[in-house]
Amino acid sequence: MALDYGSPASRRPTPAQAGETPAVPVDGVAIAATLATLICAAPAVAVIALALAPDRAGAAFGSNLLGDGAVGTFALVMLGGVGAVLFGAAAAWLVSLAQFPGRGLFEWLLVLPLAAPSYVLAYAYTGMTWANGSALEVRGLWGAAFIYAAGLYPYVYLAARAAFVSQSACALEAARTLGAKPRDVVWRVALPLARPGIAAGGALACMEIAADYGAAQHFGLTTLSTAVFRAWYAHGAPHVALQISAVLLLAALVFLVVERWARGRASYAGGSTRWRMLPRYELGPLGGGLAAVFCAALVLFGAALPLLWLGRLAVLHPHFVEVAEPFANSLLLSAGGAMGTLSLACAIAVAARRATGIGKASLYAAAMGYAAPGAVIAMGALALFGLAREAGWIGGLSSSLALAALLWGYAARFSAAGVGPIDAGLTRLSKGLDASARTLGAGPWRRFAEVDVPIAAPALAAAALILFVEILKELPATLILRPFDFDTLAVRAHAYASDERLLEAATPSLLIFLAGLLPIILLTRGLARSRAGQR
Amino acid sequence: MLNRRSFTLLGASAALAACGQNNAKDGTGADADYVNVYTARHYDADRQLYAAFEEATGVRVRALTGSAEQLLERIRAEGDATEADLFISADAGNLWRVKDAGLFQNVTTPALEQGVPAHLRDPDGAFWGFTKRARVIVYRKDAVQPAQLASYDDLANPRFRNQIVMRSSTNTYQLSTLASRIERLGAENARQWAAGVRANFVRDPQGSDTDQIKAVAAGEAQATLVNHYYLVRLMKSEDPAEREAANRVSLVFPDQAGAGTHINISGGGVIANAKRRDRAVQFLEFLVSDAAQNVIAPLNTEFPIRPTITPAPELAALGAFKEENIPLDALGRHQAEAARIFEEVGWR
Repeated sequence: MALDYGSPASRRPTPAQAGETPAVPVDGVAIAATLATLICAAPAVAVIALALAPDRAGAAFGSNLLGDGAVGTFALVMLGGVGAVLFGAAAAWLVSLAQFPGRGLFEWLLVLPLAAPSYVLAYAYTGMTWANGSALEVRGLWGAAFIYAAGLYPYVYLAARAAFVSQSACALEAARTLGAKPRDVVWRVALPLARPGIAAGGALACMEIAADYGAAQHFGLTTLSTAVFRAWYAHGAPHVALQISAVLLLAALVFLVVERWARGRASYAGGSTRWRMLPRYELGPLGGGLAAVFCAALVLFGAALPLLWLGRLAVLHPHFVEVAEPFANSLLLSAGGAMGTLSLACAIAVAARRATGIGKASLYAAAMGYAAPGAVIAMGALALFGLAREAGWIGGLSSSLALAALLWGYAARFSAAGVGPIDAGLTRLSKGLDASARTLGAGPWRRFAEVDVPIAAPALAAAALILFVEILKELPATLILRPFDFDTLAVRAHAYASDERLLEAATPSLLIFLAGLLPIILLTRGLARSRAGQR
Repeated sequence: MLNRRSFTLLGASAALAACGQNNAKDGTGADADYVNVYTARHYDADRQLYAAFEEATGVRVRALTGSAEQLLERIRAEGDATEADLFISADAGNLWRVKDAGLFQNVTTPALEQGVPAHLRDPDGAFWGFTKRARVIVYRKDAVQPAQLASYDDLANPRFRNQIVMRSSTNTYQLSTLASRIERLGAENARQWAAGVRANFVRDPQGSDTDQIKAVAAGEAQATLVNHYYLVRLMKSEDPAEREAANRVSLVFPDQAGAGTHINISGGGVIANAKRRDRAVQFLEFLVSDAAQNVIAPLNTEFPIRPTITPAPELAALGAFKEENIPLDALGRHQAEAARIFEEVGWR
């Protein structure tokens, strides 16, 4: 069975097939997954619970903010999200399945914008266009959409690329043999097979846009996220902020479930056990040139231009010594946080594959924290911490407890960035494999370690990279949950930027970029080699 | 595979725990003498102040920086287990919120009373100012005569239609500016003023105070309202383009013929549940002492809290000006109404 996409059998499972995946078996993996879900979902659920608290009626300005914010967020998600999906999917297809000048270089250069926080891009473009006069000023709705598309397409690129790379040559060749033109193979085989990856990456980009505060605020837009902070900071009404956040979280939940449901009706298991080089399309001189220009433009606007601008500012006011300690803190925290979150996300994704119905839905609920601003998730975590303290379980936020709370905040905020790609990777695992392993007597942990993980390895690598860089860039949760005298690069950059000292903010911002670079290079190389039979 | 992963995880958590312990050792060892500060100010000058305090007293200042609103939520969640002894922030409006939440304790000592003029501190002693900033009008020199912008009222004058840029009203500086007007002239007057200024906008509010100055310098608008030190900083920026921009504009201290220019403070207060209250009071007194004021004056471009301290030369060059004199807690009391008015007139 090379491909059962759209076959009637996969749409309506026969009893025999349904029997292959029993409801969540009570085993170690299932228990671990339940725990992981609770850990990741708790702060977001706390936010919703606090928003619903009966003694806290919403103020009149709340509904105005909510309405305007919803319109703004919708517009930005449509413009920026669609842009990110188009750019990311096209770039992934080009470097995975086509041959053109510079392809090998673009393969990893294309990931670079991932290292740039949206708010840094916003500052950079404002600074650059201001310095050149206001002829081409990046501002307003279109300015923000441009920055999101240019900065967030790597989410789609990475996930789609993982999907393209692990595609079966047989499926593509079978299509060719059956007389499909190259274009048809792209549109009717390669793209549909990569759909879970593209959808997962696109969902991440959309949620990232919904959660973004810095860039939207900088451009003076009213979105749900800026409305949250307007209610909180300007009106001094944190409970209204929580109510708007709850709407954002619930919308994300609906979005996740619908996306999953739409995908869930089709099955994507594919692939043979024999792996060969993927056939690449040789693009002609014109096509190859256009492809190179397209990729170069993405790298230029998403990373190179802002990087050069930051570099210029950092040269004007260099202070690398002062940020040495924050640099070390950032690396340590990002590595620890990424591993912690990845483990939880892995448990959730694997269990979600095996679960059905409500169990499955509740697992995806763990991912909704990704759509809310980090400050809100941190507020949920703080509220739960307050409850635990009042109950006498714990004391104050000592350094080690604060660090634990911070890692928890990261997991609550970013588990989706892990669950999405891993789940997309596992989607390609044929159920027969799991069943075979079971027949051969492998227990749940062994199946997890020796079947699920290796199959999802490219996706795991992508997820680890995304998580590391996400945490490197993360600001609000880090600000509010960290121990005393513990600064990260993002904290330092924010301290200067919020004080409107962009010159001084340039060095730590530049270092965030550079620190993200090494894992990006390592992991994209790993990704390219992860295709079985290509070592 | 699983084992290798578990080991890596174990290693990472051990490393993180170790680094947490280091921090704990620094602070909570038996003989360590320290005070914990939650601060929404991020200036490098503040770190020098901490060092000066440690040198003078042997007491280490441990800082947690963050936005005022978020630090407030952390203090609230920590309750009586909080590690915070002192809360420091720019803007009396931010400090008032902490007071309003019942998280400050009132403190009055002779040193504080002598060090801080009455209009730069909370009437109950919940918080005390240690630097001063003025909300000034910045205009483009080749477009406007300073006499045309002698008052905040002029920003609402229809002659400046499509000539004004403003920062978002989410910002506390804007809220405090309007709150001071509500205190002096009433809500209706404040609404009319805000609506008049709003009608003069050339673009929706976006960006920082510095961005407003740059927009004026670039010719997008003729005037804006900012805290004085943002312009002073541009004047001495390391970026030639910024110095060039600062050259094209100038500032007015508004309402010199009337109630005086709106001023605000950076200040601090002692947390209600402070575990090291004496140390906290000691640090607060240090902040307003001549020693600390003389450290901060040349470094920062804010005004010293007392006229007897010599400000930075760039500030001295701006000359003396008449200050608005209202009870400082008014900025907090009228904050919610100010936010409502901004919302109603569409000044986002």
